Amino acid sequence: MSLLTLHNSLTTYLVIGALLFGIGIYGLITRRTVIGMLIASELMLAGASVNFMAFNRFTAPDPVVGQIFTLFIMAIAAAEAAIGLSIVVAIYRSYTSIDTEDLVKLKG
Amino acid sequence: MLFLPELTLLGAGLIIFLVSLGKPDSGTVKNITIGLGAATLIAALMSFDQQGDLFFKSYRVDLFSQVFKILIAGAMLAVLIFGRKLTSIKKEIHPEYYLFLFSGVLGLMMLVSSVELLAIFVSLELSSFAVYIMVPMRDDSGKINFQMEAGAKYLLFGVMATGFMLFGMSYMYGLTGSTHLDVIVKGLSTMYNQPAAVVAIMMVLAGFFYKLAIFPFHFWVPDVYEGAANETTAFIASVPKLAAVALLIRLISMVSAEGHTIVNLLKVCSVLSMFYGNLSALVQKDLKRMLGFSGIAHAGFVLLGLLTFQTTGYANALYYIAGYAVMNLACFLVICTVAKDGENVLIEDLSGLHKRSPILALTLAIGLFALAGIPPFVGFMGKFYILVGALKQDYIYLVTLAAINTAIAIYYYLSVVRVTFCSNPENQDVVKTGMLTNATSIVLLIIIVAMGVEPQKFVDFAQMTIQSIM
Repeated sequence: MSLLTLHNSLTTYLVIGALLFGIGIYGLITRRTVIGMLIASELMLAGASVNFMAFNRFTAPDPVVGQIFTLFIMAIAAAEAAIGLSIVVAIYRSYTSIDTEDLVKLKG
Repeated sequence: MLFLPELTLLGAGLIIFLVSLGKPDSGTVKNITIGLGAATLIAALMSFDQQGDLFFKSYRVDLFSQVFKILIAGAMLAVLIFGRKLTSIKKEIHPEYYLFLFSGVLGLMMLVSSVELLAIFVSLELSSFAVYIMVPMRDDSGKINFQMEAGAKYLLFGVMATGFMLFGMSYMYGLTGSTHLDVIVKGLSTMYNQPAAVVAIMMVLAGFFYKLAIFPFHFWVPDVYEGAANETTAFIASVPKLAAVALLIRLISMVSAEGHTIVNLLKVCSVLSMFYGNLSALVQKDLKRMLGFSGIAHAGFVLLGLLTFQTTGYANALYYIAGYAVMNLACFLVICTVAKDGENVLIEDLSGLHKRSPILALTLAIGLFALAGIPPFVGFMGKFYILVGALKQDYIYLVTLAAINTAIAIYYYLSVVRVTFCSNPENQDVVKTGMLTNATSIVLLIIIVAMGVEPQKFVDFAQMTIQSIM
């Protein structure tokens, strides 16, 4: 496989998707603020979206389903970010911090 | 008619939304929501024998989904009735709270009927988002101010589980070229030992493990149970778990006992959730936290039932989770009624409850006896059937470990009963219970005893239900 045909192979996109997903998990674990964790979680969803688009382009018999799925993921990710940020605002009001090291009143 | 229960819930949400625009007093809101909850249950009962497909075959109404809809509607009505005072939510936002509750239940009802990945994803998120908001809605004017933290933890773990589930779904779509569960099950049944399929199946199951609180997706449980209002916790602890089991039954038929990697992974998850839940519950002082950990252990038992990959095993899991929901509701009824101002209930707060309110003490005792697995209540028969089913599959180690866990669990359940009955109330007030609460607790107790005394009828019915989707 030469470098020039790389854009036209399924594997490239699957690797990109898996990388995005992995970066998302890494960020979710290591980030120290709630907003950082929310951003990292969006990366996980983006990884899944890339996968859907790739399979949709290269393997699927009906090349619409994957695209629709991706659209739904984007819409739902937006709703989730709205809810997440509203909770962040509420946290800031009662803790005056969004650092996860300060959110330790509950000892899960 | 096929869509009647969901439409009723949707209408209920709209009515509550209209109510929230005005300035209703809390009595009106209470009566309206209980009425709407009862209407939902009636609608679910009326559409019991419906069958058919909707929305381009991504939504299937069959006996299986209708049974779960009745269970969900019944559990919701119970939560609405015994949590009707809603003491730990500010009066002004009661209508909004109920709006989210109804939309969450709508999501769960749609979830049990969904047979397509996109439908599953959308309805799962609808139910999750509503609950994410309900958790931080607890009144923060008092001394309790950790509900926001609980909400944030719930949201972040939920988002991670969603990410896992979506990533798995994308592989499933890639491997089989379809998003319909029927096609996926057929496609994956030839390759469930390949790494890609194993990863895909485990990741999709992870999304539902999170809802059911199975190890390693249980971390949110204790904090959310403690941080959320008592009524919210009662809801989270019973209703979503029913729907999660429904979906696990639908999904787990993708695997069979020959898929060794997956089966071994699921065994590990099952045993670890039992041990983690039971051992952590031993040291808890907060009753809600204790019930949260015990919920993790019970989820391990349900998974053990599913692991048999037999119709009987699935039926046992259905019977078990229905029983678990009822027992749990009985315990939360007591928590919600004892906590006059919506505070968290410590185990020592229950001391002398048999004098302060005999009916609550009886409800709590029977609920905990049932959870501990003592005959003749439903918890014992559920555990018995699941262990027998697992034994028939030669899972001898699993059965032994599960039996050890049952023994551990008895200790912490019964020590609560001891506090309730064998200590005297020290300047604690009499707990007043309303007519409706008494009636609900009696109905719950009757169900617990009836399901425990005549288990075979219920299990046979559960098997008939399962056969409708196999």
